Amino acid sequence: MKRLTALLLALVMLLGLTACGGPKPSDAGANKLVVWHDKEDAVVEALSAYLAEAVPDLEIVFEKKTSLTDSLKLVGNDPTAAPDLFIFAHDKIGVFAEMGILAPVTELLGEDALADYLPMTLSAATYKGTLYQLPLYFETLLFMYNRRYMQDSEAPATTGELLDYMGRNTGRGRYGFVEQHSTAYYSAAWIHGFGGSIIDEDGTPFPDAQAVRDALAYHLQFVALMPGETEYSTVNTLFLEGKADATIGGPWMVPTARDAGIDLGIAPMPTVDTTGQPLAPYSGVQGIHVLKFAAEGKAEAVKTLLVALNDPAIGVSLALASGCAPANVKCYDDPSVANDELVQAMRATAEIAVPMPNIPEMDVMWTVVGNLLTDVNLSGKDVGASFDTALAKASELIAAMK
Amino acid sequence: MKKREKNEAAKKRRRGIFYSYAWSTPSLLLIALMVVFPILYTGYISLTNMNVYHWFDFTIVGLDNYLRALFVFDSGFLSALLATILWTAVNMVLQLIIAFVLASLLNIQKLRLRKLYKTLLMFPWAMPGYVSILLWKTGMFNTQFGLLNQWMEKLGLEAVRWLSSDLSAFICCTVVNLWLALPFMIMIMDGAMQSIDRSYEESALLDGANWFQRTRYIIVPAIRPIITPAVINTVFTTFKTFDVVYLLTQQAGAKTGSGFHTILTYAYENAFITNNYGYSSAISIIIFILLIVFSAKFQLREEGDL
Amino acid sequence: MNQKKIKERVGLAALNVFFIALCFVTLIPILYALSVSFNGQNSLLSSDFSFIPKEFTLDNYREVLFGEDILAWFSNTVLLAASTVALSLSVAIPAAYCFSRRRFPGRRAMLKCLVLLNAFPAILSMFAIYRLLRSFGLINHRIGLILVYTGTMAVFSLWNTKGYFDTIPTEIEEAARIDGAGNFQVVTRIVLPLAKPSIVVTALMVLIYVWNEYIYATTFLTGEQNYTLAAGLYALQATEMTGSWPVFAAASITVSLPVLVIFFLCQKHMTSGLTAGGVKG
Repeated sequence: MKRLTALLLALVMLLGLTACGGPKPSDAGANKLVVWHDKEDAVVEALSAYLAEAVPDLEIVFEKKTSLTDSLKLVGNDPTAAPDLFIFAHDKIGVFAEMGILAPVTELLGEDALADYLPMTLSAATYKGTLYQLPLYFETLLFMYNRRYMQDSEAPATTGELLDYMGRNTGRGRYGFVEQHSTAYYSAAWIHGFGGSIIDEDGTPFPDAQAVRDALAYHLQFVALMPGETEYSTVNTLFLEGKADATIGGPWMVPTARDAGIDLGIAPMPTVDTTGQPLAPYSGVQGIHVLKFAAEGKAEAVKTLLVALNDPAIGVSLALASGCAPANVKCYDDPSVANDELVQAMRATAEIAVPMPNIPEMDVMWTVVGNLLTDVNLSGKDVGASFDTALAKASELIAAMK
Repeated sequence: MKKREKNEAAKKRRRGIFYSYAWSTPSLLLIALMVVFPILYTGYISLTNMNVYHWFDFTIVGLDNYLRALFVFDSGFLSALLATILWTAVNMVLQLIIAFVLASLLNIQKLRLRKLYKTLLMFPWAMPGYVSILLWKTGMFNTQFGLLNQWMEKLGLEAVRWLSSDLSAFICCTVVNLWLALPFMIMIMDGAMQSIDRSYEESALLDGANWFQRTRYIIVPAIRPIITPAVINTVFTTFKTFDVVYLLTQQAGAKTGSGFHTILTYAYENAFITNNYGYSSAISIIIFILLIVFSAKFQLREEGDL
Repeated sequence: MNQKKIKERVGLAALNVFFIALCFVTLIPILYALSVSFNGQNSLLSSDFSFIPKEFTLDNYREVLFGEDILAWFSNTVLLAASTVALSLSVAIPAAYCFSRRRFPGRRAMLKCLVLLNAFPAILSMFAIYRLLRSFGLINHRIGLILVYTGTMAVFSLWNTKGYFDTIPTEIEEAARIDGAGNFQVVTRIVLPLAKPSIVVTALMVLIYVWNEYIYATTFLTGEQNYTLAAGLYALQATEMTGSWPVFAAASITVSLPVLVIFFLCQKHMTSGLTAGGVKG
């Protein structure tokens, strides 16, 4: 028993040691900026390397934060716990702006600085007329195919051709085409192709109801030729293992596909026969956001950092480091960026892509649309009735936000 | 003389009471801070309009959130509530029976490898929950690649979408939940069985009591007070299941089409995602009260002399 | 007699077969992960799976051990877990002893309330705990996490040890008191050895909780080098390793093994002092 007591005492002492050795909150020097992010290492390495040269006077600390948005909601504008800036997609701007923790970027940078940005990226980063993010790069979904099975000439220009191809090449454990068919982010492309949308700027859900119903009904023929799973890893693996000839996926799939030895082809999104409009995917604009307290307390440092990030050079090095499509048009003047097939494809898709809505109401729509899609695609429920349920749910949840 | 003795005794008793409080304080204080305070705080927030539009400047709005919460208690809520009660009952019964049988078998002294078996059976517990659930979801249940469907194929059967219908999703979630929860229950039962004085059992054996009688009259009464707290705790945890059901069937972007909801996954989809903390807090408090009422109804008596 | 022995042998053999089968069935998902982790090909999902990897390799484990911050996470976790276990036991044992042996006003009511506290769905507790830790200045500080973990497990620790203390006959203690033992000695020399199984169970429970907890850890600690194993693994799963299942599987197995070793080593302490000869004779 003495041993147990001794052990306990030792552990209590250990506890004392932890007390002294714990990580301390950083004291905020005027030249030190903490940046939260959730990006892969390549992106952060490119950023740090560039900033070390561009702004040597600033100490920029990149801290990777899992579940970044939840943490931000928690720490908000608290200088002792919150970062000074954070890098994230644009779709949470509305939430954070309404919470009142974001500082407008335009005042820090000046209007002129933004002349060279792709209009899509700027409109994505604007909420209620104010720009809250300096865009760095963007992502869109792409139509990808495996050249071993689908020839360049077979790449479908229209959804009719795609359906035809799927009919001929699906069966016996193989698929002509796979996508995350019952996931809102992916299916939005089909809804947009019919001229509909999930939510408009004013927060009205499904402004064009008929378009959504048509899209769902039309999409159903494709779903019938796809596996009964909608999650990422299934779709991803089918394509990577060569069991699916084509897919719609994000740029993040490209490195793994190339590693897996796939001769990857990238084609423009097919157009919907009946409407003549292309499947227009959502785009996500990744950029840097400034927290209000930092914009006030460390204005000079923040301005210096933003000006540095405004330089096309960082866009070029991000594009080269991890295949990101820069938000700054000038980056595409660089020959190495101009010749990158992936970056070019995203640049082209940017013309049709719809930025994810950044209004707070969108948060509930992800779930509503996800449920609508699973009802229709996986549970075989009636399109009209499911849509009505979803619309009612959407209005109810949006009302519950206030 | 007598009076002095009495005084002494009273003084001693008072000192005893004082020491009891003093020794219990650290534990109770931590509980007050980390468990009670969040409940009170949630109660306070439930009376305010804290939401995305009033994140820092929220004001007291009285019982508004509770009134609105009543709208969530529609048919969907009721069926989720019934499903949760069924879920809790099925899981608890299976868990207690299986854990009891296995713990009894693992206590047979002549079973030499029992420590090895025990350790191996603890493995599910040694992994973070989300890892295990991910393993089950993609490794076992996946329609395209999952082990179950690979076996079905080898047997010449059709591939099954395990997680997509309500009933089969319920069964699959139960399997995973038991897999996750049994190690703890076995350990608790095993620990409790250690406290039984072997001489009782031996004399019962000599008296010719059969296995059932020994279980009924000796083992169960002996371990009951010890395991009761853990069992009550598990009942509540099972009732509040979120991870297993959400990650297997309801995760955003990976829904399977099953309509099986526990009360918490339902509340998540119908309230928590709105970022309206006042409203969500009101729902949490209502679920809390509901559970307390249930436990009073089903007489979850705390045993072990109270 | 002989027949009885044979019967017993057959019974034991059957029991062994049963447990081997049970362990195998239980471990199927883990064997699956194990096989994936030794596999050279990059896929958790594969259409022709076998438990024996086709291209055996240790590369994934090498990457886990040397490619990531896993050693730092491991020492963070050990420090956190050990501190939490120590603190939990040192607050729970005295309280449990008082609740089990002493009678004082409010005792029954408090015990009842403590049980009911578990009924609260803690999904929204994060805000309150954040506000609390901030006012103590403990955000981004290990002490904060240790307090949160200990507080979360305190009800269980208290109840679990108290339940076991109740089964220890008071006569033993009284005998010791007559021999002149003080309160402290009674607890450390008599009660604790007898209650060892439940104390070990409580300690293990706290340990495993801390080992596997990732939500508080990722929220209240910033910076990858400060993560615990579960938090680090969660972060990797959420970002980088989505494409690399074998490494993730290897990491999961690596994270679980220390817990199993500790469990195996603790088993001999899980036998009661009662049967080990405390009161017999």
